[in-house]
Amino acid sequence: MLEKGKISAFQMAVLMYPTIVATALLTVPSITAAYADNDLWLSPIWASLIGFVTVLVVDALHRRYPQKTIIQYSEHILGKLLGKAFGAFLMLLYVLLTALVVRIYAEFLVGSFLTQTPIVVVISTMLLLCAFAVRGGVEVIARAATAFSPFFVLPLLLLIVLLFTDFQLDRIFPIMADGVGPSLKGALIPQGWFTEYMLLAFLLPFLTDREKGRKWGVLSVFAVMLTLLISNLIVLFLFGTDVATMLYPLMAAARYVSFADFFENLESLVMAIWIMGAFIKISVFYYATALGSAQLLNLSDYRPIVLPLGFLITLFSFWSIPSLMETSKFDVAVFPFLGPLVLTLLPLLLLLLSFVRPARQEGKSS
Amino acid sequence: MNRNGRKWWRTNKHKLEPARQNSPSPYAHLTLSKETKENLQTLQDIYSKCSDVIFRPFYIGKTIKAHVVFISGLCTVQDVDQYVLTPLMQANENEFPDMEQMAEQVLAVSRIKNLATIADCIEEIGSGNPVLLWEGEERALSLGLAKWEKRNIEEPSAEVGIRGPREGFTETLDVNTSQIRRRIKDPALKMERMKIGGYTQTEVIVAYMEGIVDQTLVEEAKARLNRIQIDGILESGYIEEMIEDNPASPFPQLKDTERPDTACSALLEGRVVILVDGTPFALIAPVTFFALFQAAEDYYQRYIISTAIRWLRYLFLGISLLLPSLYVAIITFHQEMVPTSLLISMAASREAVPFPGLVEALLMEITFEALREAGVRLPKQIGAAVSIVGALVIGQAAVDAGLVSAPMVIVVAITGIANFMVPRYSVGTAVRLLRFPIMFLAGTLGLLGVMLGLIAIVVHLCTLRSFGVPYLSGISPLKPKEWKDILYRSPWWAMKTRPHFTGEFNQYRQAPDQKPGPERSEDP
Amino acid sequence: MKRILLTLLMMSLLFLGGCWDRTEINDLAIITGAAIDAADDNQIELSVQVFIPRALSAGRGSTSSGGNLTLVKSAKGASIADAIALLQTKIPRKIFWGHCEVFIFGEDMAKRGITEEMDFLVRHPQPRERAYMFVSKGKAAKTLELRPELERYSSEVIREMSDMHIGMLVTIIQLKEMLRGKSNAAALPLIDVMPPPNEAKGLETAPYIMGTAVFRKGKMVGEINEKATRGVMWIRGEVERYTVTAKLKNVQGTVSLNPIHSDIKFIPSIRNGQWQMTIKAKTEGDVVQNGTNLDMSNPEMIKLVEKAFQQDIEDRIELALKQVQHEMKADIFDFATDFYREYPQEWKAAKNNWDEIFPNVKVITDIHAYVRRPGLVTLPGGIPEEEVREK
Repeated sequence: MLEKGKISAFQMAVLMYPTIVATALLTVPSITAAYADNDLWLSPIWASLIGFVTVLVVDALHRRYPQKTIIQYSEHILGKLLGKAFGAFLMLLYVLLTALVVRIYAEFLVGSFLTQTPIVVVISTMLLLCAFAVRGGVEVIARAATAFSPFFVLPLLLLIVLLFTDFQLDRIFPIMADGVGPSLKGALIPQGWFTEYMLLAFLLPFLTDREKGRKWGVLSVFAVMLTLLISNLIVLFLFGTDVATMLYPLMAAARYVSFADFFENLESLVMAIWIMGAFIKISVFYYATALGSAQLLNLSDYRPIVLPLGFLITLFSFWSIPSLMETSKFDVAVFPFLGPLVLTLLPLLLLLLSFVRPARQEGKSS
Repeated sequence: MNRNGRKWWRTNKHKLEPARQNSPSPYAHLTLSKETKENLQTLQDIYSKCSDVIFRPFYIGKTIKAHVVFISGLCTVQDVDQYVLTPLMQANENEFPDMEQMAEQVLAVSRIKNLATIADCIEEIGSGNPVLLWEGEERALSLGLAKWEKRNIEEPSAEVGIRGPREGFTETLDVNTSQIRRRIKDPALKMERMKIGGYTQTEVIVAYMEGIVDQTLVEEAKARLNRIQIDGILESGYIEEMIEDNPASPFPQLKDTERPDTACSALLEGRVVILVDGTPFALIAPVTFFALFQAAEDYYQRYIISTAIRWLRYLFLGISLLLPSLYVAIITFHQEMVPTSLLISMAASREAVPFPGLVEALLMEITFEALREAGVRLPKQIGAAVSIVGALVIGQAAVDAGLVSAPMVIVVAITGIANFMVPRYSVGTAVRLLRFPIMFLAGTLGLLGVMLGLIAIVVHLCTLRSFGVPYLSGISPLKPKEWKDILYRSPWWAMKTRPHFTGEFNQYRQAPDQKPGPERSEDP
Repeated sequence: MKRILLTLLMMSLLFLGGCWDRTEINDLAIITGAAIDAADDNQIELSVQVFIPRALSAGRGSTSSGGNLTLVKSAKGASIADAIALLQTKIPRKIFWGHCEVFIFGEDMAKRGITEEMDFLVRHPQPRERAYMFVSKGKAAKTLELRPELERYSSEVIREMSDMHIGMLVTIIQLKEMLRGKSNAAALPLIDVMPPPNEAKGLETAPYIMGTAVFRKGKMVGEINEKATRGVMWIRGEVERYTVTAKLKNVQGTVSLNPIHSDIKFIPSIRNGQWQMTIKAKTEGDVVQNGTNLDMSNPEMIKLVEKAFQQDIEDRIELALKQVQHEMKADIFDFATDFYREYPQEWKAAKNNWDEIFPNVKVITDIHAYVRRPGLVTLPGGIPEEEVREK
């Protein structure tokens, strides 16, 4: 095994929570509002269904091939050539996804706060930091996530408390005026985010308590769904259906806080907290990419390729995405299909195929 | 390639001199002879030009020629006179067949050791015990009369408290072990002795509670100590740096303490205590980040107060690390966060200042650090005045001169005070040091810079291990049972289990159901 | 060792490159209020109130603040963004909107239409969403030039006044919602300048809120006075603090009450094609002044007062409705959204005809007023005991 560290299932859940929520929290409210109007709070519930499916599929695959990541057992299931091809495709995709995540993070920062700073500085500093964490291994990333997560969750609750007087609870009506349709339509895009749970395929092999993997994975999906639901409600109560036009509604909500005439314009605090979440997300993606690539290329250790991958990701974050609008378009038009297809369906196919090929997996160790 | 055939960018490393090793001693080959004159000659050659080594020739009884060799200053001459020379001189050597019996009956010294080689003699003389050489036998006797001027047991200067014992360790190892032994009377308290340091032969004791501690921890500690090959150990700091897991980290991975009660409580928790002769600071391993934040006093005061003070400490840790950086970041990059009236006051006070925010902050911080360090070196009366008061006065003068703004002085003063709240000096200095890179980052990238620096520090802390125990144990990996001593201090009747790393062996330190109450005494 | 040096060298490049977003506080022109007026040629004139830090720092050392704390600069441009660019050429520090709490539209500008300029306020990252919006009678710029006695600058005056909820309080977000909402109508507080004590101190006065400006489709269509504003606030459910002075029947003198608490519910209903809105209100308060000879400790007397109380509120609501609903036909009460929430299907069908439906919505008021406490004394404070009426 390339990775000697071990994490507990609980740490895995804690790790995945900011991984999904960090970017989702930024843009999901406005995306769902565009389609679902004031039913936007229902959309995360529908969207999370695919999250549960993904977790169960990946967990089932893991149970058939314990202690192996998806790169390794795809070779067993599909045969060496096809398996390697699949692995290569997956790794390229992950490099792209990591680059996109980094780009979205940097765009948010540069667009709202550090307008004059060249975006390459923001991207490279974050990737350098994540490289540092990734080289430490999955344990370090999990521990950092455990240390940071309370600071990620508490401010959301704090926001509720501080903004409570500005909430107009009426805005939730009429509930389901047009039936379930709008909220389902609004769920189409966020479910792309939930398919990112396929990252579990790279984390499950390192659990100390494997049986709890499924339970905590499901709990993690549930926690993410709850968070998105609450954040959707917050922006709904605050801004009404205008949310659809705002690019970063939660940030606008944080800006709106005015407590005792003293705490005002706290969006920089949101930025600080959100950087923590983005760090964990990028680290997990980066780690999966590094580990997977090392396994694909049959290296003895993934540490040497971490920095080169970092350069690659930086480059990828610039190629073919000229502006924020294109990035949003990817999020809205491409990823909702790419996600389920590659991250949920392909593992599902792998799972089905693995039933067909029982002889290969028994007795083989890597 | 240069002429030697080596690559040009590789420096010419000097041939390594082997360090004076712990053992074997360079005198190992020498043995005692029957002739006391030969022994004397050998010793005098070895101790040539050592004017503090006294060779006193005398006759045991009337016929046996003997010498007593000792280092003046390391033993009381009166004791040698009274308990060795006098009885031996007045003894009748014919009554006793050999020295053994004579020593048993005549010598009024409680600790006697037989020595067989010159090396042993040197060891004993070096330790302060006079050595008795006599004609006719190939051995010598070491007399346990070592006594030297030592400091009285005083209040530990580095760890002061309001409640709790006021005894601290001293530089003498025996005094320290006696203080621990006085508190833990059970024979399960084991103290293993070893000598480290080629020239200094410093005595080091590894203390642990058998039955509570994880034996692998003790083995690991001893192995690491045995690995040290160095000329001399003068302070426990040398040992600390040579046995820690991550030497590159600014954070300490062993706890140093001057208080015997801290050492004993660590022993009862299943930790290993390393005592070093020559320094009052003992080392405790393993340690977590949160253990470094515990002061001995926390456990003697009431738990509610202790909890509140603990939270205050964590808050001020954050302040001490981040306040100047946050200040610089907010007034330079994120001015919209400041409430309008405050911003207006700040803008007004900064009107006269010629420096940008980062430069001003660095200026004040470095000045403050310099004053602090200077205050430590000065004699007590002047030192206190110079450090804090001087800083504020200078700060005020600087504000009046228009060099810095008043908010900056306040920020720096609060940061300095916050730093004093950290109970361990070693952690405090680590934080002081780390403040500066974060300030640079804050000045360049604003809050993003501060966050990047903070994340980097946390990730680094996550990679640290102290003797195998993750540095941030309790929070990550998350163990809610540990919180009773990390997040808050639960009352003594609730602290049922020991810290987790002794988990399987001896988990419970108390009987269950210890909570006090007025009716409890009536329970059957 | 070499690796560390190399890393440090590379990291220092980061700092040598420059701190790109660094702006010292003293390089910022802190804008405390902005006024947008209509200028000729379809242009707008943007005036900003800039805070002068030096005035405060000099004023601290010396005894009196001789100079003004703020200064006003203006520029003309095709739109706000355009005007800002021109304005920046006149101010040596970088314009900073982060603390601008007050935006005032001039009357002409309001009548021309504010939607174009609203876009800047919402899109640009700097202006804060909680800034208050106003319309001023005449030119807005003159409000910024005033030197008030109590507060430090005039923007603070109107902000504090708005906070007291005497008139309407509208933030940028709320205005945006109104303009983009279903009712297509908006309302902003209307401010004017108080007349100065004498001619010599022309600018040493303050602005004050005198009513409400009513907008339809982003253009100002009329204004209502303070009394009607109170009624509007009742209908919008924003009433917090006010004093009702009521005259009772057949009684000389007036009674004034300070309501503490109001509970307002809106119940829309559509019956037989008739759109109806019922306003249920419950309010309670204390008596602050009794100019009559009634005994306030007598519950029956109190009932008379409560009735007068109730009547006063109904009168105000009537007044507001008359002006806004029937004359200006602007749905600033947002009945549209209330109907949508209760009857989404009917609303969707009638969406395009709201302009005709709204004036015909029947408003039924159901108001209960209670007087809970008579203040500190029971009998009238000014008249001898015999004259007090017991029944």
